[in-house]
Amino acid sequence: MSEPILSVEGLNVSYGRVDAVRDVSFAVEPGALVALIGANGAGKTSILNAIAGLVRPKSGAVRFNGRDITRKPAHQLVRAGLVQVPEGREILGTLTVDENLSLGGWHRSRTMAGSIAEVYERFPILNERRKLPAGALSGGEQQMLAIARALVAKPEVLLLDEPSMGLAPKIVDEVFAVIAEIRDAGTTVVLVEQNARRALAAADVGYVLETGEITHSGPAGDLLADERVIEAYLGLS
Amino acid sequence: MQLFVDGIFLGSIYALFAIGFTLVFGILDRLNLAHAAVFSAGALVGIEVVTRWGLSIWLAIPIVFALGALLGVLIERIAFRPLAGRHDAHFAGLISSIAFGAIILSVLQALYGADTRRFPADAFPSTRLEFLGATFSLLQLMILVISVGLMVVLTWVVAKSKLGRGMRTIAENPHAAAVLGLNVGRISSMTFAISSALGAVAGVLFTLNVNAANLGIGHAVELKALAVIILGGLGSLPGALIGGLILGLAEVYAVNTVGSSWRDMVAFGLLFLVLIIRPQGIFGARKVREV
Repeated sequence: MSEPILSVEGLNVSYGRVDAVRDVSFAVEPGALVALIGANGAGKTSILNAIAGLVRPKSGAVRFNGRDITRKPAHQLVRAGLVQVPEGREILGTLTVDENLSLGGWHRSRTMAGSIAEVYERFPILNERRKLPAGALSGGEQQMLAIARALVAKPEVLLLDEPSMGLAPKIVDEVFAVIAEIRDAGTTVVLVEQNARRALAAADVGYVLETGEITHSGPAGDLLADERVIEAYLGLS
Repeated sequence: MQLFVDGIFLGSIYALFAIGFTLVFGILDRLNLAHAAVFSAGALVGIEVVTRWGLSIWLAIPIVFALGALLGVLIERIAFRPLAGRHDAHFAGLISSIAFGAIILSVLQALYGADTRRFPADAFPSTRLEFLGATFSLLQLMILVISVGLMVVLTWVVAKSKLGRGMRTIAENPHAAAVLGLNVGRISSMTFAISSALGAVAGVLFTLNVNAANLGIGHAVELKALAVIILGGLGSLPGALIGGLILGLAEVYAVNTVGSSWRDMVAFGLLFLVLIIRPQGIFGARKVREV
């Protein structure tokens, strides 16, 4: 086993008196695609936000490339290569596609032009719409823009929060194809999804969360075949 | 014509003060009620720099600008940032900024007393100019040039610079700004610094115009500035400029035609009218931010 690029140790997150994440630990190998699955409110997003420096954990530690990054502010983590695509996309609707992408390169303005050109090559549809306000894009295009914007920041680890939310099945296929491409290009991906079956089909390793705790974990293929997991989380989907 | 020119001079100062006020509101969604105290501080410190240190008013203006910027950073750090995570951050910030303003005024009172203070008579250039039948002093022209110049620079900063891009991103979606790796705290600080620097310079320019300042001048202007930014549309920079000029002109014409006791009646009458006819203000297109 190689040294993990990202690890979470004994993480606890609470909002007031509500414990959202309870003693969660896991490690991510470089280049892996890891899926965190579970129902709404299971604590998936809270874990991502704690990793990304957007929420202060109550206790526990997060390590990135061997460095303790617990409670480091988000802007330092983005600079270090840990970039999040937030739930609900959070694109800036009144700014153009171009401007949205340039925000992804906020902290590296000098080398940004090259990565924006790369991103346009990968997402030709965004290139066609580059001068349009991002709010005019379809839901699927907005999700592509959110991912593209994160790629402009040249992440080592990409945190994806519910990328399939609210999208038509055909568009979901496209989004998952893009995620697989990103992993194949060498970027480590941590994926949070309610669409458990799709997420596990794409992932190398999976963790199942229930009310803030990890209940099952293992190679994604094993989880997909595990009857207890199927019964609890995949049965109806 | 004379009335028009006088109205523009007065209005440009209102606009400069109001633009700083509306900048913080438009970008950070906070109303900074310490802005009036910064205006008073700019005025009194400007007088101090000229009378006691013997510096020219040309030097006093950049000094006051720097002082205002420093006060802005302090206001953000002390009155707003500690409350940022709270559900009632709007209201809490409103109250704590009133408190911070009161502290600034107390310090000013301790330093300079409560009396009205003036510039020494020989501090101004006395040249008078004539333009299309209106006369005005070189000083008034300078006030206009500085306030318009600062507003032009600010508009450029917000529209074109990287800092401005960050400000507009925060204005639209503060959470997305943080996710994208923008240093939201630092950009907020810079926004307050610019806002207060403009407010302080407006204070010293206002004082140059009437040659009198006391602790209370900020509060009179603050209420008018609220009228101005509502007139122009909350959060709109061009709105604050146009609103300021309209108010300046309206006051000068009112004083001249119906008497000076009607001046504030005109300011708040205008506010009342706009709220009835066009509640979003002249340039108000700002949609309500979802929380």
